[in-house]
Amino acid sequence: MAGPDVSHQQWLVQIDAELDGELSLMERAALAKHLVTCAHCAGARASQLEVRVALARSAGNPHAFVVPRPSIRAGTLMVWVIAALAIGALGGWLADRRWGGPGSGAPLEETRGTIVVQ
Amino acid sequence: MGLSSFSNLLLAVVTLQGPGTRLTYRVRVIEPAAVAPRILASGAVSGPLDNEMRLTLRTDTAEVEALFHLTPFGDTVSLGADFFTRRRAGRSRRGLPLWEEDTYRRLVRIAWSDTARIYPFGDSRRGGLWVELILERQFAGGEGRAGEQFDLADSTRDLRIEAVVRPRRARVILNLVRGDTVSGPRPIDLVLEEPPRVIQLVLMGRATTLVVSVTRPDPSRSSRDRALGLDADVLCLRVAPPDAPEPFGSICGRLNNVARQLALPTGDTLAATFAWPGAR
Repeated sequence: MAGPDVSHQQWLVQIDAELDGELSLMERAALAKHLVTCAHCAGARASQLEVRVALARSAGNPHAFVVPRPSIRAGTLMVWVIAALAIGALGGWLADRRWGGPGSGAPLEETRGTIVVQ
Repeated sequence: MGLSSFSNLLLAVVTLQGPGTRLTYRVRVIEPAAVAPRILASGAVSGPLDNEMRLTLRTDTAEVEALFHLTPFGDTVSLGADFFTRRRAGRSRRGLPLWEEDTYRRLVRIAWSDTARIYPFGDSRRGGLWVELILERQFAGGEGRAGEQFDLADSTRDLRIEAVVRPRRARVILNLVRGDTVSGPRPIDLVLEEPPRVIQLVLMGRATTLVVSVTRPDPSRSSRDRALGLDADVLCLRVAPPDAPEPFGSICGRLNNVARQLALPTGDTLAATFAWPGAR
């Protein structure tokens, strides 16, 4: 994968993947070999590492091996979307019952005239 | 119908529908107050027994119009009221006022000595103003014309009562008009549902014969006008030639002394002025 024709941008992607622990041994070896000859990529890797150290420190775990990426499962996302839609629909229905449309909310018969015999 | 019910009905018809009975709606508009209720207005509407009363109350947020009518039945009377109400419902998106309209009917049976309390804005427990209505009947002494009397104690209030009488006869003054020339007025008393009358109008030496009769107009298309009897005093004069069944047309108008015109095929114009008939 990491042959001599791999472009500079792709090496940066490889650095990112390596720091996430997603590269095979062969890919890591190829990357290490490239870093020896490419000062720019070596600098980028050092910079990436410093960013991750800062992130881990701000997350309260300065000794972490990797920065955990936030992951949202599809099922969880679906549950939240459905719950939000249901709450919105219920709130709209209740608001319509309480304040919906112009006019008084009192029952019609209470606002009509009455005749009482004394 | 049982014999006693029939007797009651007959008694009601004989004693109350007779020409000598005069009906009075006595009205007081009262507002609740901290110490004692305050009378905002008082008045009376009187007239023949089929006389009706129109009550109008207006505030910034509501308008109540009601037409009261009654049907005597022995010692009791059925008091009916057709209400037409408009209530301010809010504002449109463009800031214009929105009103909701409501039409309904109320009917109660009361004795002649009873007082009916009308809560025009609804629910009596809420404490809004009310209208006290007392019905009275007395000997007419030959007086048949309706009369109104109303004293408004608080001029900031928009309150009104009116007598609504559906005329049974009318005085119609007819003129024939041709260019600048007008025939002499020809007054005629016409009674509803009576056979047509033949009249002759002479203009510049030429006599025109017409067959005339009065009818009630078709019911109004507006539910409000129908409910409140706004066209109660409108009559139509049907004008026809003496020898043809097809009429020339009809002139409709209120009994308010305003001349209405009908173009005749002869080139002349018939002007009819409707008015209440004189006392008999």
